[in-house]
Amino acid sequence: MLLKFTEQQLASLLPAYLRLDSSFCIKAIGPSVAEHLPNIRVGMRCTDVFDFIHTDIEQFFDNPQGVKPIRLVSHCGSTHLFGAAVFDKTGCILAVRHVLSEESMNNGTLYLNDFGYADPVVLSTMLISLQRAMLEESQATAIELAHERERSASLLERTGRVAGYMGHDFNNLLSIIRLNADRLLRKFGHDEKISNLAQIIRETAARGSNITQSLMKLSQQQTDTLLPIIIDDLIRENDTFLNSVVGSGISFDIDLQAGTCESVISYNGLLNCIINLLINAREAMPHGGRMSLSTSVAHGLATRKSDSGETEPSAYIAICVADSGSGMSEALLSRAFEPLFSSKPKGTGLGLASVRDFAKEMGGDVWLESQVGAGTTVHLHLPLANPSAEVQTPHKLGQSTVTPAIGTRHILLVEDEPYALEALAEMLEAEGYVVTPCASGEQAMHALEQQTYHLLLTDIVMPGKTGTEIAKQANRCQPSIKTILMSGYVPDSASLEPGWMFIRKPMDSDDLLRLVASAV
Amino acid sequence: MIHRAVRQMVFDELGEDAWLALEHKLGIGPNELLTGMVYDDALTIAIISEASARLNLSVDVCLFEFGRYWIKYAERGSLASIMNFTGQDLASFIENLDRLHLAVGAAMPGAVLPSFTTVSKTPGRLMVEYRSDRTGLEPFVLGLFDGLITRFGATGDVKIADRKANVIVFELQYQDGS
Repeated sequence: MLLKFTEQQLASLLPAYLRLDSSFCIKAIGPSVAEHLPNIRVGMRCTDVFDFIHTDIEQFFDNPQGVKPIRLVSHCGSTHLFGAAVFDKTGCILAVRHVLSEESMNNGTLYLNDFGYADPVVLSTMLISLQRAMLEESQATAIELAHERERSASLLERTGRVAGYMGHDFNNLLSIIRLNADRLLRKFGHDEKISNLAQIIRETAARGSNITQSLMKLSQQQTDTLLPIIIDDLIRENDTFLNSVVGSGISFDIDLQAGTCESVISYNGLLNCIINLLINAREAMPHGGRMSLSTSVAHGLATRKSDSGETEPSAYIAICVADSGSGMSEALLSRAFEPLFSSKPKGTGLGLASVRDFAKEMGGDVWLESQVGAGTTVHLHLPLANPSAEVQTPHKLGQSTVTPAIGTRHILLVEDEPYALEALAEMLEAEGYVVTPCASGEQAMHALEQQTYHLLLTDIVMPGKTGTEIAKQANRCQPSIKTILMSGYVPDSASLEPGWMFIRKPMDSDDLLRLVASAV
Repeated sequence: MIHRAVRQMVFDELGEDAWLALEHKLGIGPNELLTGMVYDDALTIAIISEASARLNLSVDVCLFEFGRYWIKYAERGSLASIMNFTGQDLASFIENLDRLHLAVGAAMPGAVLPSFTTVSKTPGRLMVEYRSDRTGLEPFVLGLFDGLITRFGATGDVKIADRKANVIVFELQYQDGS
């Protein structure tokens, strides 16, 4: 059929065609070949213009009925054609097209008119080129979006930081107001009028404190108060709730053997950890089973590195959550604490990861023991607040067998706000503590060289040396010193070390006194 | 791509702040500038209208200018090679526009694409039929043709010669620069 087409029809279907006689002489030339090879003429031998690639020229016309694949390159090298030779009695038609590449599209050597309208290769090559162009634009868009997100995050971070500093300053003022209102109550509380006024001031300061809490949320401040907490008491207090977390269908035993041993931790932080562990255990037993929560005092190597970089023997409160569920394979076990990893279809992968973060922050550790089909046990170890008191019989908060006599408990107090410093010093002295007030880190450093202290009570954010720098130095030169940090704002740079206690400003005087009493 | 081109035009003419103000007013952002997305015409028209107000142009003039700008935007960006491939002169480029749009349609399913047919071709004069399901984009097409005349180094004029139902005939009169 192709052989019956007119030259015009062939030209529009195959703009690069050539018609040859059986001596290779050119009888007709497609418009695209004529355009690209202006010296080609009807009557010339095709072999004088083109090389036939991988074709035996001698036997080219031996089978005039058939169709032969063919590839031609012009002698000048600029025109590459491929397609098929269709034979008849008088010769053949070279039904060929240009070899199209992105390069030939880019450099403008070939145009759409060089290809037949129905040529599918052209559409697909244009499609590829168009998609490449869209991909380039998409990449540019993705980069713009990334920059946009960076800008937003940076703005949010700056806003948060400003909110944090505003909260800090406001908290400091509220703290002064609250401490001095407490002073008024202590000194003149017997006078009803003064007592009422002092209460109004306290309550207003408390309302102001709610505003600073909002600012703190904006600055993503999440440091909870860190107190010495009796772990067994925490579990007992939440016993009913923990049972409801486990749910029915599971036998749940609680065995508390840590007595009155304390660990300096965040109350809510530990409760969240235990809840996470119980939920994990429950989900490992969809058809019911046994679960236990136990505490004990254990001995082992501290996971927290000492200053020398070596581990040292220490006593820990061990919390174990065991289940009789399906257990975990070695592969699963190795990834269990990985953030966002979960073996459960709807798991967030945050539970165990957050438990590990909490344990590490508190100076402890967590690990798993598990066997497929034999259940899983989670061991959570937290450092003892006062290892020397571990074997004591139960005692109340603030009591210790080594409690120094009244009037000999020395407190180094560091606070750059003079009114707060004055109020705090007076309040502590009224409780019988010997207080060395310092208005700066530099003064505190000097005081540390002069005598031994039982407790360092310091603000965190101060001009010059910060509270955490003072605490590190104090712990180095007086290893037995206890540390309580207080602040309305904890900057990211101020990392709290395990064992340090923390109370958020504006604090309640009674809470602070309880904390101080428990520390010394 | 069209939205990104409008943004670039506003950038070039009025600066980044003008575009940000436009985005703010229309309540749009990077999500409305994604390449490969087929957006509602109403959004595109709203963007053009807002741009025209900021450029102190009527919407028709703004569409015309944007047509001219689109040709420049396409030939200097990632579409350069496909623009080169489509035609080496004004007549062949316009004759091949439908083939180009075939590829665009394959790359962007759902895109509503126009059709161009050259009904008369004499030296220095082209009569082109334009068919589209969209209405009101004639100034944009006038700008496209004007931009193409410039692209191929020619000078000339383009106008609407006839209008019937959904077919508009454009007449291009031009002189080659060479």
